Amino acid sequence: MVKDYGNTATVNGADAKRVALRLMAEPLELGWHHCGVTSDFIGEYFSRSCGEGIDAVDARHSISYMINEILENAIKFRKGGDIDLTGSLEAGKFEIRITNRIDAGTAETFQKHLIKLLEREPGELLLERIEENALNPDSTGSGLGILTLMSDYEAELGWSFATEHASEGVELTTCASLRLS
Amino acid sequence: MDISTNDYRVWTEGSTIHYEGTMRLSGTDAYAPILEGMNAILAAKPDLITLDLTSLQFLNSSGINLLAKFTIEIRKQPDVGVRVLGSKSIPWQSKSLRNLQRLHPALELTIS
Repeated sequence: MVKDYGNTATVNGADAKRVALRLMAEPLELGWHHCGVTSDFIGEYFSRSCGEGIDAVDARHSISYMINEILENAIKFRKGGDIDLTGSLEAGKFEIRITNRIDAGTAETFQKHLIKLLEREPGELLLERIEENALNPDSTGSGLGILTLMSDYEAELGWSFATEHASEGVELTTCASLRLS
Repeated sequence: MDISTNDYRVWTEGSTIHYEGTMRLSGTDAYAPILEGMNAILAAKPDLITLDLTSLQFLNSSGINLLAKFTIEIRKQPDVGVRVLGSKSIPWQSKSLRNLQRLHPALELTIS
């Protein structure tokens, strides 16, 4: 069974420049510091070939910020297992798909959160969330990653939850795209 | 305050707080010692607090939450002014710092 939220469509075609990476859970322990090096690597990789008329510094940063935020969530919420990334660039459009496994409870909570999030204007929701965080000193996560991507970077985002056997948890693919300028 | 790692440094000079490097800490708890140092500056109620971000190349969303939280703390004290200095050559600053001004319109934002 697959449940999709937001925009999970892929636009880039066979001629796109591509990269695919698998962050293995073992034998190196997959951890927080892998987010930064991986996102910087992909940002650097594509910024060198983003073409004329595109600001390479901005492209490198925007790609890196987007991947870092999604990977931080993947590392934080995954239920073990590897993390797969595939990135592509075509005609100034960068797309990334990041797949990891989460447990069913996490998937359900996240789906409820996404339904509320997708109904609203992200800029308004971002400020609301910041005000809520300031009132709640016990909150450990900021919840601002997705909102800053949508509001400050105008990224398009989608989430696909695939379940085959309930005991194996849920395979979550986060799809994100950016129009580079 | 002077907190320094291989990736970043945060330090104060009077009522100016300087940030340098790449900050990708793992969440609110990890940023807590930095927020503590920032709140110590605010507790002294200076006329003006300056956040100098001109050397902060990267900040993750938990770090943006840190700056936003502190902006809200300053907003509660109308006698304390705040100035944020950014750089045009660091892309995240032009994209995300305007949110601080939306939270606290009296905040003076200079990205040059």
